[in-house]
Amino acid sequence: MRKSIILYLNGKMIELGESDSFMSLSNYLRYQKNLTGTKVTCSEGDCGACTVLVSRFDGKKMGQIQAINSCISFMYLFDRCHLITVEGLKKLDHLHPAQKTMIKHHGAQCGYCTPGMICALAAMTEDAKNNVIKIDNKKVKNYLTGNLCRCTGYEPIIKAGLSIDINDVKKFSDIYDQKEMISKYSNLIFDDVKLSHKDQEVYLPASYESLYKNADIKNTKIVSGATDLGVFVNKNKIQLKKVISLNNILESYKIQNLDDKIVIGAKASLTDIEKACKKDFPEFSKSLHIFASPQIKNIGTLVGNLVNASPISDTAAFLRVSNSKVILNNSKTERSIFINDFFLKSYKKLDINSDEIVTHIIIPKEKIKFKLYKISTRKDLDISSVNMAIAYKLDNKIFTSFKLCVGGVGPTTLRLTSIEKEVIGKAIDQKIFKKIAKMAILQIKPLSDVRGEGSYRKILVHNLLLKFCDEVILDNKINVNEISI
Amino acid sequence: MSVGSNIKHDSSYGHVTGESIFVDDREATNSEVFVGIVGSPVACGKLISIDASAALKHKSCVGVYSASDFCSKKWGTIFKDQPIIVEDNIGYMGEPLCIFASTNRYDIEHIKTLFKFKIDKASPVFSISDSVAKNNIIYSSPSAFVQGDVEKVFKSATNILEGTFICGGQDHFYMESQACIAYPMENGQIEVHSSTQNPSETQRVVAEALGLSLHHVVCVVKRMGGAFGGKESQAAPIAAYAAVVAKKLKKPARLILTKDEDMIITGKRHPFENDYKVAFDNEGKINGFKIILKSDAGAYSDLSSSILERSMLHADGAYYLKNVYIQGLAYKTNNHSNTAYRGFGAPQGNMTIESVIEDIACFLKKDAFEIRRLNIYQKDNIKTPYNQNIENNMLPDIFDQLHKSSDYKNRLVEINNFNKQKNGKIKGISFTATKFGIAFTSRFLNQGSAIVNVQLDGSVQVSTGATEMGQGVNTKIQQVVSSAFGIPVNNVQIMTTSTEKNHNTSPTAASAGFDINGSAAIKACNKIKSRLCELAKLIFENTTENNKKNTFTEFEVNNKDLDLDFIFKDNLVTQTSTKKEISFKKLVFKAYNNRISIGEYSFYKTPEIGFCKNTVKGKAFNYFTQGAVVTEVLIDEYTGEMKVMKSDILMDLGRPINPDIDKGQVTGAFIQGMGWVTTERLFYDTDGNLISHSPTTYKIPNIQDIPRVFNVDFLLNKNKIKNIYGSKAVGEPPFLLGLSAWTAVKHALSYRSNGKPVNITSPVTGEVILNKLTDLKNGN
Repeated sequence: MRKSIILYLNGKMIELGESDSFMSLSNYLRYQKNLTGTKVTCSEGDCGACTVLVSRFDGKKMGQIQAINSCISFMYLFDRCHLITVEGLKKLDHLHPAQKTMIKHHGAQCGYCTPGMICALAAMTEDAKNNVIKIDNKKVKNYLTGNLCRCTGYEPIIKAGLSIDINDVKKFSDIYDQKEMISKYSNLIFDDVKLSHKDQEVYLPASYESLYKNADIKNTKIVSGATDLGVFVNKNKIQLKKVISLNNILESYKIQNLDDKIVIGAKASLTDIEKACKKDFPEFSKSLHIFASPQIKNIGTLVGNLVNASPISDTAAFLRVSNSKVILNNSKTERSIFINDFFLKSYKKLDINSDEIVTHIIIPKEKIKFKLYKISTRKDLDISSVNMAIAYKLDNKIFTSFKLCVGGVGPTTLRLTSIEKEVIGKAIDQKIFKKIAKMAILQIKPLSDVRGEGSYRKILVHNLLLKFCDEVILDNKINVNEISI
Repeated sequence: MSVGSNIKHDSSYGHVTGESIFVDDREATNSEVFVGIVGSPVACGKLISIDASAALKHKSCVGVYSASDFCSKKWGTIFKDQPIIVEDNIGYMGEPLCIFASTNRYDIEHIKTLFKFKIDKASPVFSISDSVAKNNIIYSSPSAFVQGDVEKVFKSATNILEGTFICGGQDHFYMESQACIAYPMENGQIEVHSSTQNPSETQRVVAEALGLSLHHVVCVVKRMGGAFGGKESQAAPIAAYAAVVAKKLKKPARLILTKDEDMIITGKRHPFENDYKVAFDNEGKINGFKIILKSDAGAYSDLSSSILERSMLHADGAYYLKNVYIQGLAYKTNNHSNTAYRGFGAPQGNMTIESVIEDIACFLKKDAFEIRRLNIYQKDNIKTPYNQNIENNMLPDIFDQLHKSSDYKNRLVEINNFNKQKNGKIKGISFTATKFGIAFTSRFLNQGSAIVNVQLDGSVQVSTGATEMGQGVNTKIQQVVSSAFGIPVNNVQIMTTSTEKNHNTSPTAASAGFDINGSAAIKACNKIKSRLCELAKLIFENTTENNKKNTFTEFEVNNKDLDLDFIFKDNLVTQTSTKKEISFKKLVFKAYNNRISIGEYSFYKTPEIGFCKNTVKGKAFNYFTQGAVVTEVLIDEYTGEMKVMKSDILMDLGRPINPDIDKGQVTGAFIQGMGWVTTERLFYDTDGNLISHSPTTYKIPNIQDIPRVFNVDFLLNKNKIKNIYGSKAVGEPPFLLGLSAWTAVKHALSYRSNGKPVNITSPVTGEVILNKLTDLKNGN
């Protein structure tokens, strides 16, 4: 059992003792290493000022560099990683191309968001370099979705991003010698790591076997990307005592794209899932696109989002209508249940035993179509006011299958089965949808809060059903006199 | 010459490498303590007692301080009515009740939870209308702005519209929250490193809180991570907290607010409710306009009076009002004390008339642009409602040029057709303008100072009262100084702002930071240059032979006026008439050897201005910065979701010192303004708790929200502009253009309102749009 965290920071190996391992990454960088280029504004992963880069050892090589929020990450999540901060981008006075163009195009005004922007741009150039992708306006915006700037109006930053000369970009693997890291980390892959500091304890098993053998799952919080837990800790809402992190279980990162299903491991990042689902579940992939910032998606997981059981979870609505299943494991048995049944009727209650952990999510490839809607105050990087997922099958203009799930209208995401019944077996018809839209409003009791009044959410649910109907009509080139709204 | 070129921001290298130092980036010393603020759990009431026993038992807590530990009890830039820390009466939710010090920065959040308070609760007032009902006026303008006779016009008017325009507040959301470190120095002195736009105010409030004379307090400002007005007055009490702890414990004390805490404690842009009445003819010509501006000042007066005044001064927008009546009232509520925010009241005044014009267009079934074009200030020498003559008026040029370049006419036709199709989407387009008055309306603030020190190697250090918050004031000063001496910008370093070098600094605000401090710097340069010219002349006149004979001769200069025969360019000082030249560096060295000063302090005051609010006479503004925008929006009729599709901006910035820096100010201000009127909604619960106190719940625009097509152009203005190098201030004016997203939504909705003016509030979130669309559909 190793009692330290081993990682590389800007190319230098560091072995962290037990106290430092529990710090947030941004605090560690700023106050332990005096690397104050990394800034903190919101402490909740919603502004990107704290963005740094991370590359994780995947068992054979160092994975592609990705941007993450350092403010909501704990140091113990980075065992066997290479962290690069803004200070690590400049090598011997040779600026990273993104740094050069940001200077040239006045992309920095007050400078507080700048290091985070630079890191996010460096992640973009790394991706562009590795995968030979052209940098265009859309690409720049997508890579900077998680970085707020209050000064520039973004225009100069976009210009800076677009002006980067990709030939001038060096791959991180060329800047930092990875041989040493790989050989060091290869020797660590069977290490179980356990650390404790004061009343805190974290266990990083090297495999599920170790986990089942050594861990007391019942009394422990399982941490995956910590994108939610990190916020709670920062805002003094919870104090994590005993924690298990799946970070060192290599197999948990896997996504298997099989003929009849996609099997998603507990640690598979939302970024990887967005990519993996692009072909078979384009609607889901698209919804993940505006799901959160790249920084969050690079470390956050689908399993984490599911188990978090938020009534406004954007993924839960989809998982509940797609016949997806969740795989639960304890040391003895494995069981699988439909995610629709995984959610119990009250707030944040799931059909999970205290000794079980979720290891996989399975999305079956069936011949059904999806329409997913997310309505929020801001289109990107926002939590929904209302979301809706519909899975349907249309045979000869008749609905042979229709599943409807709505989020943000009650204590859990809600399957509206009585409405589903109204639609199944009937031909697509605006009148029916006008009727069920009215029915739906009667079946929901949305709260009023910062994301909207209950009455507004009701109108949204009503109108989204009409929108769905009109879109399907349009998709199937059916003639109608006018739209439903 | 570097003036007029796109010189890089003087801190840009540090910004992109992370080497720039902000307050909390200063490494903590061993003995340093960390300060936490404990806020009130009620919005209104009386503090009876504080139980800090549990906090004091905490292992890292080394002190708790409350009102009795402060030598002064109240502060306020204009009226001293705000408690530095609550003494008895509580004015708003989260108002600081006490502070504490801890030796561990990570314990701060926990220690905050250990306090208990005994409070007599009272019933709070949160809305302007409730405060109006109770007549809780905190300030009213001493005189209305009146021209002509509106009441008479209303009696015989062809058309009249009246109503109430309502807009919400806005959080500054500077990326760097309020921050200060106070260092105890020798002889009882205190040095505060503060993220403040207003070093001298911070110095004063700290001195008063500590019972010190001003000469014992120094306020140092390296830079701010954004401010936007939020650090004009409000940085001062934060600095006082740190300073009190530093003085009590004789240790450096650091106070860094979290974003949540910052948003809860600090004031914001003022919400307004403006009652208006407008008379107009069938062409849309406004014959009479009456407006009563009512603002939510929050719990204390802060800068509310000046903000209200500027709001009144911009109630005319870009439009000539022959018969007009403008009055303003600021109301006390139990909200955080609202404060300066980019635009300083002008947006709320300007937006009302832009909204009214949109309504007139809807009422007359005419194109709103035509009505605006008809009503703008058409020429020079016509009077504003506050008796200032409009000079150097570029509005007609701006309107006509932008109307053409944006292809407004054809796009409006296209939009008319699009909206007839009924495909679940509606478009709207709006052309709005800004005519922003430059100068502090308090005359005494229009002063600045600069110290220019030429070093022996010919490099130059400049210190002014300006503070850098990203706007590029330092870069512009660097440019004018380097141009003055004819040396590269890299040879000029703008030094950290500090009240021991530049005292009685005005806040870096009102868009005038560069105008005032840059002018002072130029004045200082010119005084040094005049001495150098005199010396050069003497050197050139004395032959080498003479010098050899009498090496002990010392040249003397008499501080004459700047000799225009000399040119400072390309590191050389050249006498035009003789073509003789000497390198700047050599001349500087000779000046030193001849005991001639190569440093200078200079003072500048903006000439000819001074507005009396009692008599509504005198010149309020030095000049106006003008501009216009055309913004197009697309709305989803099912969901109320809105996208800004295109914005074309045309600004008159005279001759910009640094066009790229100015462009960055325009895009930044526009998006901030757009955020204010679209997604940035402050949401409170019924007790007065701000629920939207972090980016998860308070949505400023992100990179995907900016107009899909976004063009910014500058007008070529050949007129003589009475400002440094013919430039114009840029910080605030384009903020007002952001509201075009709101008027464009109004325009879009008018396609579904059966010709009736559409009454909406600001911000117009998707929720507001969908509710309005639903109401309109239901015939309301």
